[in-house]
Amino acid sequence: MEDSTKKKREMETKLLEKVSEVISAIKSAKHVDEVVCALHSLALLLFPLDSSLLSGSVDRRYKEQVLSAKVPSEEKRREWWQAFYQGAAFPTLARFLLLDLASNWLACFPLSARIHVYDVFFVDGLATEVVQTLVPCLRQNATDDHDVNSVHSNTERLLVLCLLENDGVLHMAREFWQSKNSFSERLTPVVSRVAQIIASIPDKARLGAPTSLSSHSFFKQITIQLLSVAEEKDEKLFDNGTLCNRSDMGDALLFVGETFSRICRRGSADVISSEITPRVLRHVRSFLSSNIDSSVADVFESDPGSRFWLKMIEAIKDPYAVERLSEQLLHYLAIEHASDVEAYWFFWLLFHQTFKNQTSVRSMFVDKFLHWKIFPICCLRWILQFAVLECPPDASSLTKGLNIRGLLDTVQRLLAVWSKKEYVQSAPMEQQTYLSAAVGLCLEKMSKKDLDETKDVMHLILQGVSCRLESPNNLVRKMASSVALAFSKVIDPKNPLYLDDSCTGDIIDWEFGMPTLEKRNLDTSISKQKDGHESKTSSSAQEKGFTCTAKNAISNNLKSKNKKLSEFKFVDPDEIIDPATLNNESVSDKDDDDNASENSDSSSDSSLQPYDLSDDDTDLKKKISQLVDVVGALRKSDDADGVERALDVAEKLVRASPDELSHLAGDLARTLVQVRCSDLAVEGEEDSAEDKRQRALVALLATCPLESLNTLNKLLYSPNVDISQRIMILDVMTDAAQELANSKTIKPKHQTGPLISSISESQPWFLPSSRGPAGASSWKEISETETLLNWSTRYERELPSKPGQIRRGKTRRWSLRSSNIQESQIEWSHNKFPVYAAAFMLPAMQGFDKKRHGVDLLGRDFIVLGKLIHMLGVCMKCASMHPEASSLAPLLLDLLRSREVCHHKEAYVRRAVLFTASCILVALHPSNVASSLVEGNLELSIGLEWVRTFALQVIESDTDRECYTMAMTCLQLHSEMALQATRALESAETTFKAKGVGLPSNLSKGTIKIPHSIVEL
Amino acid sequence: MSKRPPPDPAAVLRGHRASVMDASFHLSKPLLFTGSADGELRIWDTVQHRTLSSARVHSAAHGITCVASSPLIGANKVISQGRDGTVKCWDIEDGGLSRNPSLTIKTNTYHFCKLSLVKKPSACALQAEGLKYYHEREVRETADSESLEDSGGKAGGSLPECSHTVTEDMHAEGPKYVAIAGEQSHEVEIWDLNTAERFARLPQNCVSGSPNVSANEKGMCMAVQAFLPSKSQGFLNVLAGYEDGSMLWWDIRHSGVPLTSVKFHSEPVFSISIDESCSGGISGAADDKIVMYSLDHSMGSCVVKKEINLERPGIAGTSIRPDCKIAATAGWDHRVRIYNYRKGNALAILKYHHATCNAVSFSTDCKLMASASEDTTVALWELYPPHT
Repeated sequence: MEDSTKKKREMETKLLEKVSEVISAIKSAKHVDEVVCALHSLALLLFPLDSSLLSGSVDRRYKEQVLSAKVPSEEKRREWWQAFYQGAAFPTLARFLLLDLASNWLACFPLSARIHVYDVFFVDGLATEVVQTLVPCLRQNATDDHDVNSVHSNTERLLVLCLLENDGVLHMAREFWQSKNSFSERLTPVVSRVAQIIASIPDKARLGAPTSLSSHSFFKQITIQLLSVAEEKDEKLFDNGTLCNRSDMGDALLFVGETFSRICRRGSADVISSEITPRVLRHVRSFLSSNIDSSVADVFESDPGSRFWLKMIEAIKDPYAVERLSEQLLHYLAIEHASDVEAYWFFWLLFHQTFKNQTSVRSMFVDKFLHWKIFPICCLRWILQFAVLECPPDASSLTKGLNIRGLLDTVQRLLAVWSKKEYVQSAPMEQQTYLSAAVGLCLEKMSKKDLDETKDVMHLILQGVSCRLESPNNLVRKMASSVALAFSKVIDPKNPLYLDDSCTGDIIDWEFGMPTLEKRNLDTSISKQKDGHESKTSSSAQEKGFTCTAKNAISNNLKSKNKKLSEFKFVDPDEIIDPATLNNESVSDKDDDDNASENSDSSSDSSLQPYDLSDDDTDLKKKISQLVDVVGALRKSDDADGVERALDVAEKLVRASPDELSHLAGDLARTLVQVRCSDLAVEGEEDSAEDKRQRALVALLATCPLESLNTLNKLLYSPNVDISQRIMILDVMTDAAQELANSKTIKPKHQTGPLISSISESQPWFLPSSRGPAGASSWKEISETETLLNWSTRYERELPSKPGQIRRGKTRRWSLRSSNIQESQIEWSHNKFPVYAAAFMLPAMQGFDKKRHGVDLLGRDFIVLGKLIHMLGVCMKCASMHPEASSLAPLLLDLLRSREVCHHKEAYVRRAVLFTASCILVALHPSNVASSLVEGNLELSIGLEWVRTFALQVIESDTDRECYTMAMTCLQLHSEMALQATRALESAETTFKAKGVGLPSNLSKGTIKIPHSIVEL
Repeated sequence: MSKRPPPDPAAVLRGHRASVMDASFHLSKPLLFTGSADGELRIWDTVQHRTLSSARVHSAAHGITCVASSPLIGANKVISQGRDGTVKCWDIEDGGLSRNPSLTIKTNTYHFCKLSLVKKPSACALQAEGLKYYHEREVRETADSESLEDSGGKAGGSLPECSHTVTEDMHAEGPKYVAIAGEQSHEVEIWDLNTAERFARLPQNCVSGSPNVSANEKGMCMAVQAFLPSKSQGFLNVLAGYEDGSMLWWDIRHSGVPLTSVKFHSEPVFSISIDESCSGGISGAADDKIVMYSLDHSMGSCVVKKEINLERPGIAGTSIRPDCKIAATAGWDHRVRIYNYRKGNALAILKYHHATCNAVSFSTDCKLMASASEDTTVALWELYPPHT
């Protein structure tokens, strides 16, 4: 030992001397051949060089020198090589080669010389050392006399040559492998340093570096090399029985792990997983196809080919890298369309060791992947199967293993998050979908017994479902109903609970119609359809014995029953059922024969085929023609028919705008709001009744705004109406505002005609006018014989027939009003809304923040608040460009600015705020903005500035995507408005100047900020 | 089996300005008489569908209750009954009514009951029986004159003429009768159209002194139908419907006691029709039933053949087509319903009118049916055209 180290040191000093010799030779060299010779003399010591290859490229003078050089023995050479690379000689020489030689001489090197005496030092060197010297040169600064560019490009070339073309990484791994016995302890930092250096290469490479050094392709190449080394080394492991038992990982594996974690850290986990996935999947598939029912786990354990995979993840020490890698693996597996079974074994193979041993991995799967990440649903199933259920799945579905505890814990943790109202309000939609799917899939695996074991799962589910059902977002409600369905199936599989008409069938779509990465295979979709069909029929069969706890379910059930009844009726709604005919069916047949024989001379009764005897009584219902009757009928809530008829005619009657409308408007509005359409109408027709009611209200608001608004505004905050009615009131006001804004007026042209016509004929006044066709006879008095008192005298005369007139009669033609009548009328649209804008908006704005019995807009009834704000926005829009808009805008902005409104927890409200803010920006006339600035009306400018900051704030921090886009639009509108306003101001300024009037001094107080460039006045 | 939709009217006659109360076809010409609640009587051309003439024959305040024509009173006459207590008989002149009625009867009745002209078994309906019938008539000529003394009183006196009318057929001469609910509303009165005098009252104002309580209890007479059953030897029979839903069959010879009394309906009987052979009929009332019955004069029995239940109550008018194939009812529910008269099964529900239907009437050639309604229109229908 002592001897060998001494010998080694000797060799090293010798080599150093030689190296310094070479370097000084090169430094003093005048010709390139001298340089080549010098290098050659050194290279010959270390590498098995064939000098003749070089001889062609050097000058004759040096050729002999080259050829005559003494070649050392092979054994000697290996010793030299060892000493050279493990000692200080190589770094010294390499530094010189890379810096000085590369910038001065290398360009003159003939190609063969470059390969054999220059590149050889790196390519055939000890890869770990080579890399450690090469990479720093990439960052060589321009100093002294080195040509930085050529140094860099040369280094890059060498890197590509060493690492990629000559499988340098593979060599490195082998080097670590071979050296592991002696250097195990000391090497660990070296391994990680080398890995670090390798992983940093793409970042250090220049822009113009070869594309193979770009991170993607470079890491890909490296990964491929590392994976191949793993496979190859495994074989060795297997061959070498003694090594097999070593529990600690080889340094090579350590190197692989380190490199992978560095690469993951550098954001290229996808590259690694794209390489790993197909390999492992192939491996798993081959196993699954060969071992169908033997215990797969054991087979994997004993199989040498699997060993690398079993250890690989363990070798990656960096938890972050593991996480990134696993994530990517999941995604790639989804792309590969792996089946559930394959995926399970895939993860088992890679992770089961670490999953068992490391809590970080465990929590990664159970916490991070379920709570924070978003994967396709198939990945979610795999995660649940692997990490929660912890047992191999069936071919078709997830299976529940023995580990129920884990499942229950997971469910409880998922539900704790899922059921929170804040989560529903703030989490992005994809996250919510994913978590709901996780909850649902877990629930599907639970039994009633499991459920009883848990403490508060049921409570949490009910809480989560109920707070979701209130959401304005359909998707969120659908999540609730799907989870509720899954839950109800746990409780009683025979009585599934359908909260929604849309979810039918056994299989719940946990993707909720969101775009999915993976399209289902044809066969699965077919089987799904079949299942769906079967379940439909079975569910309808079960419907009769349907008993549910939830309120919605009951109503749903009732509805379906109603539907059945109505359908049953519909077959023959009003047929006259004559019991006699039913009884006499057979008899009457006989009768028929009898009759036929009786009436053999004339037609038989077969000519008396009955017509369709169906009859309905729609035309018989009493028509309501007075508004008073409408109000009366609407109040009689027990007379559904009457209410329906009243609703039918209400709109028309209101539109006719009779004189009494203004007296009745309040009453009518109140009764219309309070009518319960859903109670009255037949199943499936609620919408039409609801629609009629709303149209009637809109008509009422449009024809008689002030009176009806008075009532509606009172009702809006009255404790006696429910949320749906409040929403309806707001909807109706919105529609009415729009209608008023778009109203058209028809005004007939004034037509003058003679008011007095004179009778010029010379006949007595009491005779009818003698006008008429020529040839008419004169008037004759008809004697009235009926009574003696003859108050009126009747006259008659005969008219000649008109030419061409046929005696049969006269023809009248009916048509719509002729076109010339229309021409005489002018039609123009006229915005009637601004007059009523204040009446629409102000009362509604007054009470929004008060919490009273049954009224809690800021909290529970946030949908009403959103609708209210939306309505106000629409009102603003309808009044746009009118002076009313600018006077109402500050008040509305005040409302929006209040903290509870603009920072409301529900995205729905925030969206409404942004909408209304945009409406205000659109509605303000620039000159009004300008004049309010000029007049020093701070309210408006402060409000507008708030709109801008609020929008910016939303863009920066809001979780809701729609809010984000709306805020962007809002900002854009704001800048347009600001631009217009400045223009208006400029023109005002010029006119002021022209008039010699100075602008008021307080003008500078108002500011409008245009994003990016602030215009200050 | 998909059924045909019910037919639409062949034509709609518009022109009345008030509820059309009754309609009646001319015997041979394509004319239709209609009377409305404002007293206007219109004559329509049923080919051209136009008004030929219009005249206010009763005062607007009272209006027309009934318009009737019958072979027994002659082809060119039409009778109108007003709620002003008069019955007027009009001659049909060239395309219009005579300016003045040929006869005015002041009946002093102010009720809703439509009058009835006498219906006799017609030749066309009784082709098989016809010859025999006429033979019997001839034979009976003499017998009738003898029975004149038997029956005594005014009724007997006019009967020979009555039978003359029958044999002479279609001739306008001779006494003609009209049955009508009387001044005492529970009575039925028979008036002679030739003399404008009351000829009989049913029940007869009892000479014996005991008032007929039974008729009185039945309330007002709501519908009458006078007819000459083939076996009644030319004596007038009257079927009368009352307020309580009962029907009495009177024979003029026994004016004190009805031949038979039945109660098919639970509400006032509004309409009674008798088929051409006078062996059966149909009745409609304010309840939800239509009853078809057969009449047997020799037994004096009126037996229900068929009871048809309606979905919505109220039948204002009934009519049987002269060929006895179909019957029609005019309903308060705006519908005209068509039934197979022999079997009683429903054939069609005709929806056109949008107000109460007041009357239905078939033309003598069986090709047309008219329905009169409160919506001021008259609809003409072509249903199950007879094979000729």
